[in-house]
Amino acid sequence: MKDKKDIIICRCQDISLEEIESAIDAGVTDPEELKRFLHVGMGPCQGRTCGRLVSRLIAKKIGKSASEVRQTQQRPPLTTIPIREFLGGGDE
Amino acid sequence: MNKTYDVIIIGGGIIGTATGYYLAKGGMKVLLLEKNFLTAGSTGRCITGIRQQFSTPTSIQTAMESVRFFSQMKEEFGMDVEWKNSGYLFLAHSEDLVEMFKKNIEIQKSFGLDVEFIQADECKKIVPLLDTDGLVGGAYCPSDGQANPFLTVRGYVEGIRRYGGDIKIKAKVTAIDVNNGRVESVRTAAGNTYTAPMIVNTAGPWAREIGRLASVDLPVEPDRHEALITEGVTYAGIPMLVDYRPDGGYFVQRVSGQFIGCFTPEAKVPGKSTDSTLEFLVEMSRRMCRLVPALKNVAVLRQWAGSYSMTPDGSPIVGETDVKGFYCSVGMCGHGFMLGPALGKYLAQYMTEGVWPIDMDEFAFGRRFGEMESMR
Repeated sequence: MKDKKDIIICRCQDISLEEIESAIDAGVTDPEELKRFLHVGMGPCQGRTCGRLVSRLIAKKIGKSASEVRQTQQRPPLTTIPIREFLGGGDE
Repeated sequence: MNKTYDVIIIGGGIIGTATGYYLAKGGMKVLLLEKNFLTAGSTGRCITGIRQQFSTPTSIQTAMESVRFFSQMKEEFGMDVEWKNSGYLFLAHSEDLVEMFKKNIEIQKSFGLDVEFIQADECKKIVPLLDTDGLVGGAYCPSDGQANPFLTVRGYVEGIRRYGGDIKIKAKVTAIDVNNGRVESVRTAAGNTYTAPMIVNTAGPWAREIGRLASVDLPVEPDRHEALITEGVTYAGIPMLVDYRPDGGYFVQRVSGQFIGCFTPEAKVPGKSTDSTLEFLVEMSRRMCRLVPALKNVAVLRQWAGSYSMTPDGSPIVGETDVKGFYCSVGMCGHGFMLGPALGKYLAQYMTEGVWPIDMDEFAFGRRFGEMESMR
């Protein structure tokens, strides 16, 4: 078994399994709160890679099923978009 | 369950946690109740800016004291809250604004603030990427800055626990018991009763509802402000740029390299909605690129929204209400994060010693609402 420090759950923000588990142990069991506590899921993928993993980790730790733990609210845009795309004005 | 404390604080944002921290540090037995999770209200939705450029003595002094606290948090908390004095540059595109900024600078300087009016070419030196088209000059304060609201609250929360206080999340206050004009206890949705001779309302956008539980009317009306953040790019030290034109806005480069920004909507959106709109995304993109055209190549990561809890004159309401033992620190008008540390300290001192460290009449409960804070 790999060291939990070396297992990265949130690849954008480089957050390990160990960091997430110790935050949950410290009482941060709401995915919305965990997001703000560790910045997990706040990088370029916006939690699309790690969101479900995080919810499952929380569920396992607090003895609930994954469906009982909410996912964080999805915020627009759905994917990163360069600002120039919003400037309009047609082709240069 | 029924438990007794010295002070009960309602609301787990910057105001509640800072107030609780200074009370607990002073030896009070503190309970903080948060109905959702810590930073869930306005604090966790702010755009991280901390400025001292206000137009009235109380706001200026409070903000200057907050900056002193932010700069000492690393030592105070034993953790980094990402404080950086990256500055604020208020931009003037008209002579009227130049005059207003200069008038305010005079007041700010009388309190020792390191603020100057600079010409457009000097603005360009500070922000080489700035488009100075139509710009006359700006009010620049290099000691203004930014910090991470989540880490700041975490620092205060860990401190409250260290000094023996209790923090309960998912604890919604449903009743405040008042007897003979004095607060006695609060009750929560879970059926618990907590007793204390002092109760503090730091409920941000929910301040009015909490006040009503004790039959105290607080003229605080939340309205929605949207925000966005970009991906991180090389940190170029771009200060908070505040564009005062009717279609202006404000944004800063975070120490993470990300740009974070917001504008005040022309038509108010009253209420506590945190929904995002495409209109904001498009409009904010245009406004940011008008000032810093190079931003067109940076990608937007996320947009969100939070509440500005407005009072009739644009200044907070801080102090004891007309119910004995019922205090409030509410109506931050979008400045809660930056004013919070000092307001927490001031209110804690007032509650324990009965005196304010500075003249707080401008923020008093029950004041007559006069002229609007001009650097809001």
